[in-house]
Amino acid sequence: MAPYTNIPLSPAELSYLHTSLAQDPPIRPDGRSPTQFRPLVAETDILPSANGSARICFADGTEAVVGVKAEVERTGRKGGLVRGKEDGEVEGEERGEDGWLDVSIEIPGTRDDDALPVFLAAMLTEALLADGELKGRLVIGRVWHWRLFVDILLLSQPLSYPLPLLSLTTHLALLSTRLPALISQKDEDPLFNDDWEASTHLFPRQPTTNEPETKPPITLLVMTVGTNILFDPSSDEIAVADAIVAISATEDSKDGGLKMVALRTVDPPSRLTSAGVPTQANTTAGGGLSAEETLKLREKDAGATVWRPPRGGVSRTVLGRMIKKVVEKGGVGEEVLEGLRGVKS
Amino acid sequence: MPLDSSTYALAHLRVDGRRWKELRRIHGQMSTQAAADGSSYFEMGNTKIICTVLGPRQPTKSGGRDQSREAIIEVEIGVAGFSGMDRKKRSRNDKRTQEMQYTISSAFASTVFTSQYPHSTITIVLHVLSQDGALLAACINAATLALIDAGVPMQDYIAACTTGSTASYASNDEDADPLLDLNGMEELELPFLTMGTSGGEDKVNVLVMETRIQMPRLEAMVSVGLDGCKQVRNILDGIVREHGKKLLSSR
Repeated sequence: MAPYTNIPLSPAELSYLHTSLAQDPPIRPDGRSPTQFRPLVAETDILPSANGSARICFADGTEAVVGVKAEVERTGRKGGLVRGKEDGEVEGEERGEDGWLDVSIEIPGTRDDDALPVFLAAMLTEALLADGELKGRLVIGRVWHWRLFVDILLLSQPLSYPLPLLSLTTHLALLSTRLPALISQKDEDPLFNDDWEASTHLFPRQPTTNEPETKPPITLLVMTVGTNILFDPSSDEIAVADAIVAISATEDSKDGGLKMVALRTVDPPSRLTSAGVPTQANTTAGGGLSAEETLKLREKDAGATVWRPPRGGVSRTVLGRMIKKVVEKGGVGEEVLEGLRGVKS
Repeated sequence: MPLDSSTYALAHLRVDGRRWKELRRIHGQMSTQAAADGSSYFEMGNTKIICTVLGPRQPTKSGGRDQSREAIIEVEIGVAGFSGMDRKKRSRNDKRTQEMQYTISSAFASTVFTSQYPHSTITIVLHVLSQDGALLAACINAATLALIDAGVPMQDYIAACTTGSTASYASNDEDADPLLDLNGMEELELPFLTMGTSGGEDKVNVLVMETRIQMPRLEAMVSVGLDGCKQVRNILDGIVREHGKKLLSSR
């Protein structure tokens, strides 16, 4: 993750940041509350040649465009033979394959096979496929299915970890995605209505209110400093994170609340920054300690007097609290979805 | 899909209802992205481009210190997979893309005062969001706006457009009309050239033609192209002035 490792902050600055973020309540450099997001500008349905598209501009200037394109493909062709009913397996209506969703991410200044875009694409794909509903909707009949290409472009330099930006943009693009209406029978060679007005949404909407009945998942970046949980961290804050977790949540179709569909930990760059050396241990500054004292200083006061990169993992209780903050009623996840609902094309 | 351009001779109207010397709708915006030094959004019909300019800055590429006395102009073009009719992913070292990058970089090298910024690079990043003809021309126009937004000193705008010629066969040479600003469907069928000029129509910076054409038709196409570039230049000028007014009034 090259872009995030060269943090232009000194150990003293890191220590200052860490202490202020670890306070109760935490003091963030931009004065936000722990669950507050940075303002963003969003628009959907911006491209005429894509089935669905969206663009989001974050306040720090990072910008992403997502275009969704759907193509018709033949199902179940293996070795030139059409798999028939003879297989003995029940052909479920709502079944699909993971391979029908194709997510690719382009980040300027990185190659396509770099770790960062590949990792981010895997994370987003995992969340989208987790509940199995999306791939079920791509089935046309026994013989044909849609193949969905989600192309994510980051238009600016990746100033902070781009995952939330890309995830929210993908969410909006998928919500606006429409597929042409099918007028042939299900298992025939597909024939579509060429009237775009008649097309159906990939995420079906209620006919009266035009509100989507289900929504694609969103992935939020959550970080911890000490016992504090912070949402939407900026690049400065990420530099001192104890742990960073990407939590994907989607609406639960049963009770209307949110449920978590995927979780990944992201290696915080703070682990790669070198630790500060206190003056009394600095030999060039006239200090110098015995081995015993050095050990005591290094191991016992973790970050109390000087910046120390975090060690170890994240505790179970903190992880549980993070997930709860995202998915609970009136939590951050609902707030974000509510905010995105206001986006018009 | 072959285009039936034979109807042109009947009413002198093109497939999208334009006359021969009419441009498509051109729309541009400047300063669209806060993170870049300069940025712009440019539409020519359905061709949509976002351009960001980074720099002039220290060369980022490692290996060997740059001893040149002039700024280097790097161009990166990313053609999005969803930009065309069918989803097609162009790799970054696609030959056509590389040629466009080279063309744009050499065009701007002659109009940007590169000698003001020794040992530095100016990176122009172009994202093609939707393509419907005149890709190179739209890229050049978008880059011009973004460079102006970045405050890079230039002699003049480079304004570009395409011109084509009706009927690609030799028989009715005298009937062949030059056409201004082809759309994607016309580009597939008709011979065309892309032209970029600066200083009104004084200096041709770019002239690219990939198709074949009878020699006598070329002159008419070039003169129509020069006129088109002048129109585009006026539109670009309007966009810049409007942006400037907005900036001044917001102070």
